[in-house]
Amino acid sequence: MKCLLVASESAEVLFYWTDPEFELSAQEQYGASQEDGERPPAFEDSINTLFAPIIISCSTMVDQLGDSYTSFSTENNHIYVLHQFDECLYIAVNGDGEESEDDLKRKIYVLKKLTEMLFGMVTLSSTLLRKELRPQDTELRCRVWRKLQGLLETYSRLRDHDQSFLVEAVERLIHPTLCEQCIEFLERRLVQQINTSVDRAGEEVQHAFILVHTKLLAFYSSRNASTLTSSDLLALIILVQHFYPSTTDPEESTPEVSRSTFILTNDDMDSASAPEIFYTPEPSPTDNDSAELIADLFLSLTNQVAVDSLQTLEVPPQDPSTPSRVFLETTLKEGFFPMMPHSMYCLPMWPGITLVLLTKIPNSQIAMSIYNFLEGFTKLEKRLAEGQQGSPASRGQLPVNELRSKIDKFIRVLGSSDIQESVCMCCRLLPWCRNMKIQLCAIYRQCYVAEGSSRQRLSTALQDRALTMVQDKLMDWKEFLLVKSKRNITMVSYPEFPGLVHFIYIDRSAGQMIAPSLSITERATSELGKGPLAHFIKAKVWSLVGIARRYLQKGYTTVTLRDGDYFFCYFLWFENETGFKLDVVEIPSLPDDSAPIGMLACDYYRKLLRYYSKCQPSEVVKCYELLTVHLGVIPTEYILQHCSQLARKLWEPSRIPLL
Amino acid sequence: MREQFLWALSSSVDVPDVSICEFLDQLISLFCFYNGPVRQSYQLHSRADLSAHWAKYLSHLQGGSTELHHIFSCLQTIDATKIDPLLLLKAALILQACQRCPLVLAGCILYRGRIVSTQMPPSLTLKVMVHETETYNQEHRPPANERSTFSTGGQSSTMTTPVFLNPSEVQALHCPPVNRTCRSHCSPQPDPRARKSRLLSRTLSDTPFSEQDLTNSSPSASCQTMPCSHRSSLSDESCFSPSPGSSQDSAHFAATHQSEDSSHADSESHDYKLSNGITLSEVNGDSKEAVFGDKEETMIKTIIGSVEEGNSLTNGHHLTLEDEKDQNHEDHERHLHRPVKEERLDVGRRVLGDSPEKMWREENRTCGEEIDSELLPMVLYEHRVRALVLALLVEPQFPTDRTAPEEVYHSSLASLNGLEVHLRTSSSGAPGPPGPYSFAHYDCIQNTLTTNLSGRLPGPQDRSFVRATALLHSHFSHTYSAQEAIIRSAGAAVYGTRSAAQETFFLQHAATARNSGIPNPLDSAFALPNKARHRLLKHGVNLL
Repeated sequence: MKCLLVASESAEVLFYWTDPEFELSAQEQYGASQEDGERPPAFEDSINTLFAPIIISCSTMVDQLGDSYTSFSTENNHIYVLHQFDECLYIAVNGDGEESEDDLKRKIYVLKKLTEMLFGMVTLSSTLLRKELRPQDTELRCRVWRKLQGLLETYSRLRDHDQSFLVEAVERLIHPTLCEQCIEFLERRLVQQINTSVDRAGEEVQHAFILVHTKLLAFYSSRNASTLTSSDLLALIILVQHFYPSTTDPEESTPEVSRSTFILTNDDMDSASAPEIFYTPEPSPTDNDSAELIADLFLSLTNQVAVDSLQTLEVPPQDPSTPSRVFLETTLKEGFFPMMPHSMYCLPMWPGITLVLLTKIPNSQIAMSIYNFLEGFTKLEKRLAEGQQGSPASRGQLPVNELRSKIDKFIRVLGSSDIQESVCMCCRLLPWCRNMKIQLCAIYRQCYVAEGSSRQRLSTALQDRALTMVQDKLMDWKEFLLVKSKRNITMVSYPEFPGLVHFIYIDRSAGQMIAPSLSITERATSELGKGPLAHFIKAKVWSLVGIARRYLQKGYTTVTLRDGDYFFCYFLWFENETGFKLDVVEIPSLPDDSAPIGMLACDYYRKLLRYYSKCQPSEVVKCYELLTVHLGVIPTEYILQHCSQLARKLWEPSRIPLL
Repeated sequence: MREQFLWALSSSVDVPDVSICEFLDQLISLFCFYNGPVRQSYQLHSRADLSAHWAKYLSHLQGGSTELHHIFSCLQTIDATKIDPLLLLKAALILQACQRCPLVLAGCILYRGRIVSTQMPPSLTLKVMVHETETYNQEHRPPANERSTFSTGGQSSTMTTPVFLNPSEVQALHCPPVNRTCRSHCSPQPDPRARKSRLLSRTLSDTPFSEQDLTNSSPSASCQTMPCSHRSSLSDESCFSPSPGSSQDSAHFAATHQSEDSSHADSESHDYKLSNGITLSEVNGDSKEAVFGDKEETMIKTIIGSVEEGNSLTNGHHLTLEDEKDQNHEDHERHLHRPVKEERLDVGRRVLGDSPEKMWREENRTCGEEIDSELLPMVLYEHRVRALVLALLVEPQFPTDRTAPEEVYHSSLASLNGLEVHLRTSSSGAPGPPGPYSFAHYDCIQNTLTTNLSGRLPGPQDRSFVRATALLHSHFSHTYSAQEAIIRSAGAAVYGTRSAAQETFFLQHAATARNSGIPNPLDSAFALPNKARHRLLKHGVNLL
């Protein structure tokens, strides 16, 4: 019984995702009221009816009180979490008790993050984002929704089953030699070859990495590239998992996955040959309004599609060589740009092992200019608004002129423009300013998001060559890697800690984690044993992470807890680069409605590190976390000793170089 | 939604959901306790009066106590460590003496707004305390028309106030544990021991005295008033004196009395209503329309207004009461005029072997609509000797009874005076040094809190202690398997432990040693459990 919905201020549903149970209950609720013989209402209409009261009351609250709900629970134990980003209202619902309020909030932020990754700065303009999330054309809308729904499902599956998504840090395969060899190979052979090739169509590989399921084997960034943030890397892994879900072993497929027919479409085929990629047809270069064109294209392509049901829509298999457009945070010498367009090439080597290339696209300069202008207009808008409230003196005159000359230059560079210019009185500047921002976002959309914006790419031959190169390199390791990804490290390798059941060690500065595998499979007996006990411990670990986050949110960096037969510890500490332990400082206690603690959606730890660095300005600060689960019968002093030894022991493996 | 009303209570975000729901429940039940069913009281009284009442209950629930008390929403008791345990025993005996009168159900003794001894479940004690605290704070105020002061002699006075109990509360009072052997018709209780300890005055289970000590010391403490007071010990059942009134237990008495003489009971309750000038039969047809018609807006405003006026309190709660669409007028009327006899039968059916609070809550959930009409009238009798108050819940016919008021008054007067003097002298002593630590010990069953925090100005350490305690308490109430926890921020480390019956929180005051937060077995924070065990022993808290 889960649902997530995005609605505009006018109560229009921009996007929704439901699980089958929620869909069924909604259909029962509204199907039952129908007369016999009448067709049950379209599911989207049911969703509309279901949420309309909530959306309306929410906007009434905002209008009347300037405040709104963040969450509420109903008498039948449904939890609703609401969050407003600009003009879009996000509502997450859970009715089966599987998700907490925090989980729902996190899901909302993750969806926000995913839309940012897919649409970039278009998300800055609500008007444009609305069009992007809910295109007029039904088929196109189905496609967009289907993609986002798939991504959300992938995220939920990973969060429920993968420790790295539980704690929101990337897990590496622990095999230093192989890792080093692969990095060297990526650098010397692969990236160099592609970037010097004539077939690259102006693109330049900036990052290349190899994923084994969700675990990172090797990662290489070219010298002039900005570092890839953990948040972006995690989001990219979700994207890769969405394209090539880790369901290679049907026996190990989780119930969540098999329930979703959408992902299972790959199961009978070879998942490498029929990937599930958002279809991007070749556009006509002359047409500006590509959306309509695409609509026509789709209409001719898929006539059999039922209009009101997304579930029946077939996604045409797509050419895997078409890159996905992703927007990533970059910090270059020119400055900080939150959503720079990149092309992502996802090359499946074998089921479960994927090579990912991230390239800088040739026209990304425009994105920088647009971002700078947006910044400028935001500042101008702010000053104008201030001027409107206080003295009407036109104090914003200078930035206007400056911006004008800059934008004139920009327009000349851009060649064509439909930007309205009008410099008039101060009060009329404000809407102009807003309009200008929307126009800028529209240009950005046209350049990077709209269909056809990704027409240039690395040639298929080049992609194939890259793939073959890495395949050859890793051929002998293939089976090993697949097994290794399931049992990366195991508790057996830690015999010196009797009574230690599980641990998770996280380097928050690098966004990486180490933990013994907690794979719960029906077939193989894991170290935790089979069946209920293993599930119980997994549930305990998941709940411990929630508890630790709760206390961290309130400013507590050390937590020990005796819970039933187990003893939990949680530690967070800071070190400088040489491993010297730094003193704790008072960490701010955040209100309950603050953004979720994590790295994927809203990077709490980055803020924490920035906050700490203010106290230790001279040093590079690193942040670590350790969670342990011990048997409750072990005396506390031994448990604490274990924790301390474990932290020392784990310090070394986490030093595997990322570059 | 309850009783056809929509209730809304707003508070700051920091207050956990559980606490705020509990708070609203308490508030509504408080209102019902003193005013009867909500709808009926809005028919009988002016809206301004009632909103003043709401404000009063609200401020009572919020004010007066420390933040820690709010976290646990518990009762205020006198500091048992500062006074002679014999005094507590004496207070308990006074209450038991009063119960010899068959019309007296249960009682409690309060001193300066704090509990000395109580026989009632915590939820009921809380309700009784509201009135007492209010009168204690405004003693010079002339009594309102609904209270009849029938004896005023200097510092000592008594008064009665009509109150309303819900059936489960009445049932709990009617079934004092010691009498269950002679009550075969009453439904069985699965856990008599738990019930017994709950209804025992808290002194008996709280002080380190053993049962043996009690039997030895009680005659000397109050030999003049109670020849037969050992109702707590089962072995003494035979010595329970067969005085005319108490040969039958009070529940049985009341039940037979009501069923044989229901017309009498009916007229009783009508008498009360007539004394207010309005009878139920007058409220009908058009007048009712007027009452309910334009309720919504005005009522909200009056309540909010009055609350905001008298509310400069910490959390800034606001209460809004809104009448639901009155689709059930007829239905409701039928409920109002349901014969008392039928209600009584209903009560019998309702008796489960559960704890009264739990039952009360369950009933609220399941049959919220009916609860409105099922409130039973009772009378709160109060006997005040300066700051000391004896509060008794008595049957409605108690004030009109020829002998009972006199009997209770005279039997308790002397010992109350004595107790008051003792309490006054002993409680004037200066509090000892608080020690280099803070602790809070919460008794979940008696709903009481022991702490060394109150009274002194909150320092930064105290504030972080309160903050951590609030966090741990809400964690413990969510996670039933959690037993003990240590949490540490840069400034403070707090140890919390809990069992089924209690929660204890401890913070050691010390200049916080610089630490990195990395796991370190020598860290002082991990020595907290041991320190807590040693330090708290002298406060009567045993953590072993």
